[in-house]
Amino acid sequence: MARIGIMSFAHMHAYSYAACLDELVEAELIAIWDDNHSRGKKAAKQFNTAFVAELDKFLALDMQGVIVTSENVRHREMVEAAAAAGKWVLCEKPLAPTVADAKAVIAACRHAKVGLGTAFPVRYSIPMMAVRQMLKSGEYGEIYAASCTNNGQFPGGWFAKQALSGGGATMDHTVHAVDALRWMTGREITHVYSENGNLLRHGIDTDDVGSLHLEMEGGIQVSHVASWNRPKSFPTWGDVTFEIVCEKGVIRVDAFNQKISVYNDDAVRAEWAYWGGNPDLGLIQDFVAAVDERREPTVTGVDGLRAVEVTVAAYKSAAAGKMVRI
Amino acid sequence: MRVAIIGCGTMGHLHASMAASCGLRIIACGDKYKHSAKVLAEQYSAAASDDSMAVIADPEVDIVAICSPTPTHAGYAIAAAEAGKSIFCEKPFARTVQQCRDAMSAARKAKVKLFVAHVVRYFQEFEAMRAQLAAGKVGKPGFVKLYRGGLFPMGADGWFRDYEESGGVTLDSMIHDIDWLRYTFGDAERVFCQALRRSEPEAIDYSTATFRMKSGVIAKVIGTWAQPGGFRVETEICGDKGMIQFNSDETPIFTMKRTAPGETPSTIVPASPVPKSPYQLEWEEFIAWVRGTRQPRVTARDATEAVRMALAALESAETGKPVKL
Ligand SMILES: NC(=O)c1ccc[n+]([C@@H]2O[C@H](COP(=O)([O-])OP(=O)(O)OC[C@H]3O[C@@H](n4cnc5c(N)ncnc54)[C@H](O)[C@@H]3O)[C@@H](O)[C@H]2O)c1
Repeated sequence: MARIGIMSFAHMHAYSYAACLDELVEAELIAIWDDNHSRGKKAAKQFNTAFVAELDKFLALDMQGVIVTSENVRHREMVEAAAAAGKWVLCEKPLAPTVADAKAVIAACRHAKVGLGTAFPVRYSIPMMAVRQMLKSGEYGEIYAASCTNNGQFPGGWFAKQALSGGGATMDHTVHAVDALRWMTGREITHVYSENGNLLRHGIDTDDVGSLHLEMEGGIQVSHVASWNRPKSFPTWGDVTFEIVCEKGVIRVDAFNQKISVYNDDAVRAEWAYWGGNPDLGLIQDFVAAVDERREPTVTGVDGLRAVEVTVAAYKSAAAGKMVRI
Repeated sequence: MRVAIIGCGTMGHLHASMAASCGLRIIACGDKYKHSAKVLAEQYSAAASDDSMAVIADPEVDIVAICSPTPTHAGYAIAAAEAGKSIFCEKPFARTVQQCRDAMSAARKAKVKLFVAHVVRYFQEFEAMRAQLAAGKVGKPGFVKLYRGGLFPMGADGWFRDYEESGGVTLDSMIHDIDWLRYTFGDAERVFCQALRRSEPEAIDYSTATFRMKSGVIAKVIGTWAQPGGFRVETEICGDKGMIQFNSDETPIFTMKRTAPGETPSTIVPASPVPKSPYQLEWEEFIAWVRGTRQPRVTARDATEAVRMALAALESAETGKPVKL
């Protein structure tokens, strides 16, 4: 039985991860720590677990792993504290808002000899796994190009505050696509061009749209849209899609397009109710197994760093108005 | 009014039938190949010739419809202008911006009407999107995505597959969306583009561009000739109050036809019939303009700008740098 804690419920994914821990017989959510006490207490009540207000008391608990789901800029301090306490860490994406912080996080975990994983659940999406298999099988031949999207509704709150997030939609919604591309192709990203801006949501100090162009090893050309462009009235939270152009054909995947349409007169919008597999569950299951076996999680801190490098380069490119080499 | 069709391939056939259903007479067909000219001419009891310049010069001809490969457009447009004909020219207007300008000034000098057929401006679904935008349904637009494409066309002598001739998917097909983008969101500031332009082992082109508009709007435009079959158009316009989406896969009719009893390979065809084809609508507007009763929604200058933007995208793809417009 792996005993797991969650640090901060600032990121809404914490609720999904907690629910996954509940679902897994081999894991137990033994405590929650949150610098926002009322949020932490509420979550503890919801998931029927303990709330611990002091960080050192929380980290002193008999627990082998923690999930860090704080604001992006606080990942570093939290992962460092958890690693110093000997805990295995699963860190929400992006691993950090800067390359220096991402490297520091990795170094801290190496130094403490604890495993570090980055939360890229897309790798556990069953349609995505099937597509990766198709690409690996060679039946589509060489991969030439891809265009992907990670659109979302506006998350608001700290996500759109530069000082807490380190960046807007481009920061939030580039990393999943980058990680999936690296994972599917086995190639690294070499160049980044980005146009971004705050064009859709008012009163924020981050971008809410990023239109990216990447180049990968072997000359694979990639277009990506990272955005918070889905309105409140949109039937779901957003999407993760890829069109992959290969020598012998084209593969299109819309990872969450397993849904039923629901129309309810009490709601302000029609709703797409998702019925496919839960990628978060695969992610948490792997982390729990890593904790149990005292191994690295499958999606590592270095995977997290690679995605951070691309995001950081995207902002550099947007500021410089040219393509940036990684 | 009597029409000559220059270039009797896919579009030549289509435009002959559109002009005819507008009540015009097709009297002459010119093509590089006499046979191609003949096949079309026979349908309308028209004359056929492999000397397109002679067809244009024919004093019986009032309207010249240019439906030949892109690099030949300007030469025929200039000849038609000098012969005092009204001109209906397929998009892209020409292969270079200079050719566009030369054709425009020839038309201006000769005081003839020169229309460039940017048909997407006449598509019902695109007009519907403009209406919703104008009604404020998305609020202030900030992000646009326009996607178009399918298989790599061949064309006579495979001219589409010669990137020097056709400009690939970027100049030939993406230009539809580029024109509509400018029509709807104004001028662009700069463009960044990646374009595959492969010939070996298979002709595959896949072009993705980001246009930054003067208004700040970010537009992702994707043109594909990478698919082994099919054709789809997808659009998305996002604003501070909402979003509009269109997807051509969603059609009222979907048919699956068995090629032979018990055989598996079958043709799958989606269809979305409309009261009037957009190609017919553009002919009606062109004719109204020639008759002096109406201004068309697309001008030769618009068409020149579209060529300029598409070529800037190709320049960016070539250099790996954003290109200022
Ligand atoms: N608006 C649209 O939806 C649309 C769609 C397809 C093509 N187009 C445009 O229409 C034009 C024609 O395309 P198409 O698909 O009909 O091509 P096509 O290859 O089917 O037809 C071209 C015809 O022109 C003839 N031709 C070649 N060189 C010539 C010359 N020098 N003089 C006279 N005739 C010549 C060819 O023999 C052929 O019959 C192109 O500019 C293309 O970009 C527009």
